[in-house]
Amino acid sequence: MAAPRHSAMLSISNNVGTPQSTSSDKTQIAQPQSPAQTPGLRVPSNRKTIYDRHLNRSRNAELSRASFAYLFAEMVTYAQRRVTGIQDLEKRLNEQGYPLGLRLLDLLFYRATSTSSSALSSSSTSSSPPNRPLRILALLHLIHGPLWRLLFQRSADALEHSVSPDTPNEYMITDNDPLVNTYISVPREMSMLNCAAYIAGVIEGVCDGCGFEAKVSAHNQPTEMWPSRTVFLVRFGDTVMEREKVLERQGVK
Amino acid sequence: MTVYSFYIFDRHAECIYKRRWLPRPTSVGGKPQTQAGLGQTVRAGDDDAKLVFGTVFSLRNMVRKLGGEEDNFVSYTTSQYKLHYYETPTNIKFVMLTDLKSPSMRIALQQIYINLFVEYVVKNPLSPVEHPGGVGVNNELFEGSLEQFVRDQATFR
Amino acid sequence: MSTNKASRIGEEIWKTRVDKVNAELVTLTYGTIVAQLCQDYNSDYQEVNKQLDKMGYNIGMRLIEDFLAKSGVGRCANFRETADMIAKVGFKIFLNVAPTVTNWTSDNNQFSLIFDDNPLADFVELPDDGRAQDELWFSNILCGVLRGSLEMVQVQIEAHFVSDVLRGDDTTEMRVSLVRYIEDEMPPEEE
Repeated sequence: MAAPRHSAMLSISNNVGTPQSTSSDKTQIAQPQSPAQTPGLRVPSNRKTIYDRHLNRSRNAELSRASFAYLFAEMVTYAQRRVTGIQDLEKRLNEQGYPLGLRLLDLLFYRATSTSSSALSSSSTSSSPPNRPLRILALLHLIHGPLWRLLFQRSADALEHSVSPDTPNEYMITDNDPLVNTYISVPREMSMLNCAAYIAGVIEGVCDGCGFEAKVSAHNQPTEMWPSRTVFLVRFGDTVMEREKVLERQGVK
Repeated sequence: MTVYSFYIFDRHAECIYKRRWLPRPTSVGGKPQTQAGLGQTVRAGDDDAKLVFGTVFSLRNMVRKLGGEEDNFVSYTTSQYKLHYYETPTNIKFVMLTDLKSPSMRIALQQIYINLFVEYVVKNPLSPVEHPGGVGVNNELFEGSLEQFVRDQATFR
Repeated sequence: MSTNKASRIGEEIWKTRVDKVNAELVTLTYGTIVAQLCQDYNSDYQEVNKQLDKMGYNIGMRLIEDFLAKSGVGRCANFRETADMIAKVGFKIFLNVAPTVTNWTSDNNQFSLIFDDNPLADFVELPDDGRAQDELWFSNILCGVLRGSLEMVQVQIEAHFVSDVLRGDDTTEMRVSLVRYIEDEMPPEEE
């Protein structure tokens, strides 16, 4: 919900001046109606609204992990009813994560500036308030560190660049034990399925929101020690790679 | 101790999980292969689950009649085996058959419920909410952990 | 069991036996679920309410097992005890809130839960389309959760929201009514 917040988010992503930006099918997730800030909504007399309560109120709040598992389970079940196969299911989970990424990005920036601590240090190049990342590496560090900490209270386990010269646009973020897969036992016939596609969607939303067009997918890469180890493959679009070269030449970090 | 078999029944009185480790011995002197109800031949089919359910269901109702609504039986022993019983307030029934040397398995059954069933079946998004025909209970995480759990029980006692 | 005792049990379990996760992950995930439903059902809010209730029902059927496993509590002696158990133990260990139980009918078959805080609705503003505030019960999933979980312990209830701060009301209130107690199911007859 929170349509006005969401459209505000989209306008941020539109301001970055990257014409390739968000894919059109996804921007429709925003509620089309509701011009932001119109005073058409009724509010309680005690003014318990999102405008009156502090945005950091829930910053350190915790809820039961089981509650998340149940909601996530219903999300998966609901998605399963409307899809034809594993790929389709993952696509749908991805799409559900996408708007979350856009929102979390806003929250991350807000918190980074309001506390001016080192929360976003990886993306800030000076002591001034942290900026939106301009280069791929800064963006990936933002995801690997602050985003992961916001969601899972720890950093991701690895961040790698594809070693293949054919795919310089591919990056991998690894989570050894993704929270979303904690209770999932995938049946053999669906062994390709990784429900962390939801988190892949979140990452995609963060990338897009920053003006980095990307496709993100989740892949099972189990090891003996980490049976649900998941690699998030981030593939940036051509325009992002071109811009990256230009920024490199200009010495932008 | 030796664990012979293990059953889970849901609130619809259906057997949603069944697992056998070792054949349960039948009384000597009789004709083991033809003993109705307890012999091997019957257990080859589906019927042992129904028998077990009928037994624990009747016993539990009888116990409640005599001892009050909150009362329940924990186990019963025959000359051949011991049946252990644990029931949740949601009417899921856990049953384990062991040899006579076995200590009380009530806590063990409760732990199977709390640590295995709830964690790997109930919370698994890919497992349905209810389990007609046992669907969803027989997943790898649950079965693997159950196997391990039963093996540990057998080793340390 | 007294209300105070239920509160203590709830606090104790929440502190020592509940695996935690960032609240915002849960809140925002719920938000995306509701948003997805609104999109899939073209903002037919009646239908969205119904779907949320259905999802909640499914969750309730699972969640009750976790509730019993964590709390180890047995059957409640009466519906008043059930109400305290829901408010002070159930809501506490799954949503870290403890709504007030109030407005009992004289036959002790109906009560209200008043929520001072509702983590599901953090960060939420309903769409300003002239309808959502009149038609959508954003947290309707909770009604389904109660219905599903109580049915599993053989208590059939009906639950619905009567007010919500997201609609501009001063309180968020859910009304819960006892329908009946359910008998044990018998195995199907042989032959």
